[in-house]
Amino acid sequence: MRGNGSPAGAAARRAAARITAAFADAGVTGQLHALDVDTGTSVSVTATQLAPTSSLHKVCLLAALYREAAAGRLDRTRQVDIPAAGRTPGLSGIAVMRDAVRLSLRDLATLAIAVSDNAAADVLWREVGIDTVNRAMAELGLPDTVAVHDMTAIRNALLAQPDLTDPAALSGISVLDPSRTNRSTPRQMAELFAAIWRDEVCAGDLAAELRSILGLQAWSHRLASGFPFDDVRVSGKTATLPTVRHEAGVIEYPDGGRYAVAVFTRAASTAAILPAADAVIGTAARIAVDALRTA
Amino acid sequence: MDLLAHLRYFRVVAEEQHFGRAALRLRLAQPSLSQRIQRLEREFGVRLFDRGRGGAALTPAGQLVLTQSEAVLDAADRLHSVVGRLRDGEAGTLRAAVPAYLGGATVAALLTLFRERSPGGELDLRELTTAEQTAELAAGTLDAGIVRHPCLASGLSFGPMLHQPLGVLLRDGDALAAEAEVDLRALSGRELAMPPRTNSPALHDETLTACARHGFTPTAIRTVEGLDFTRALIMAEADLIALIPAPPPEPGTAWRPLTSQPVTWRTSTAWRTGHDGPAVRIFTEAADIALRTHAHMYAAAAERPRAARPETEFAL
Repeated sequence: MRGNGSPAGAAARRAAARITAAFADAGVTGQLHALDVDTGTSVSVTATQLAPTSSLHKVCLLAALYREAAAGRLDRTRQVDIPAAGRTPGLSGIAVMRDAVRLSLRDLATLAIAVSDNAAADVLWREVGIDTVNRAMAELGLPDTVAVHDMTAIRNALLAQPDLTDPAALSGISVLDPSRTNRSTPRQMAELFAAIWRDEVCAGDLAAELRSILGLQAWSHRLASGFPFDDVRVSGKTATLPTVRHEAGVIEYPDGGRYAVAVFTRAASTAAILPAADAVIGTAARIAVDALRTA
Repeated sequence: MDLLAHLRYFRVVAEEQHFGRAALRLRLAQPSLSQRIQRLEREFGVRLFDRGRGGAALTPAGQLVLTQSEAVLDAADRLHSVVGRLRDGEAGTLRAAVPAYLGGATVAALLTLFRERSPGGELDLRELTTAEQTAELAAGTLDAGIVRHPCLASGLSFGPMLHQPLGVLLRDGDALAAEAEVDLRALSGRELAMPPRTNSPALHDETLTACARHGFTPTAIRTVEGLDFTRALIMAEADLIALIPAPPPEPGTAWRPLTSQPVTWRTSTAWRTGHDGPAVRIFTEAADIALRTHAHMYAAAAERPRAARPETEFAL
């Protein structure tokens, strides 16, 4: 593994080669960064190249909310009235609810993570602020993790593109270009999760609450699919755009081993539903975690 | 005419040598008894008794019929008794099956223990896969079996759940064979020989999942059936291994236990629900002892999943 002796380095290179082969077999190009939360030992595949983060930035939003709460600058239990009109449209959470609701900041964050609720996320973007989120990431040592707009802006950019199945047209979409949209690298997203698990974003009960929210994601077709073990905990958050499928999270084994993993993919196919591309995120993550657990 | 019943009346008259006393013993009216004996005489076409005032004396033909009818009635009694015990499950043949890889010593112990507990009982034992056993149990062509779990459970009842630990079968001279036991993670990069998935699909998948949980994902699965063929392929191919319960030792391959028993085959007896007569219970008892003693099986404490995920839909 990185920073260790050459036999471990060779094991990391073998793992990286298997991960690259798995990506190719699934019809995607992929990036990965996996690290042992406690030792820092890591496995990488083009882990420092910028990519659009889309819904993964909801983790940055959640982390910033809890960091502000820990500093006493925000009350995460503050209730927000959200009328029925004017909500960001979406496919889950309050984005699909028809009536007015009143929710605390932390419950909005819970919906944004558990079911990737875009309406809840956009309320939080307004309440927490893009600058606050970017400052939090910079102070955590993640300067390449930058937000420039909310979920509504991403949706509008997609709506402006008439054909989402044309690969040539897709290459010009702003939200697929990391220089023009919310962005990060697999390495920094994995490091953000590691920081959350090491109590570096906030500590104590607040940190436990933050981590428990990240364990509530409803779907299991990506990262969790690689760890179909009843006694292994998977926490994470997905991101999806045309041809883009990501997930970052933490895998916890009952022996105390915990591993932060971020897997970013771009598919050759423009199909919206692509099970092989979802599943390879879990496959790649497990190859990496198995290598870290053997190190 | 009910020949057996008439022969029994005849025997009593012959013993009493008197129709009146025989009728009393049989709780029949004397004329009725006389009519039945006359019917028997018509059936055979001979006179059986010389009837006089003093009683009824057997004729020579009657003497012959008495001798022969003893044998017929004894045979009929034996038939009733055997069928009765069979019906009650105490004797007769229990049609049973075992899966592969129990080991000869285990099967021998099972046969011995069953016979000790069921005098006169026989075990008709076959080796069948779990899928074959569950199908035959449901069809009623098998009375009891030893199955690997998970298996299709509808309509079946099961004995105590035991775990049979798997170890690794290696080529003699394999670097890993130098160790007393092998860490599953050390098998990374190897191909795994497994029986066809169709034999027990759920067990096949569960075995691979347990391997993955403990850090071993084979580079390829090779479908191989039977211990002999598995050994032969492992001897011929450097990277091929198998994960099986302890086999009888044989030159050419070496079997090593896995560190901390990460992979086991859950095993139990099975029978059709509601068809657990004494013979099935004796089989289950004998199997439990044989499996624990000779197949290194053990019971494990029940566990709840410790990391429930939202897809499980209940917070427990």
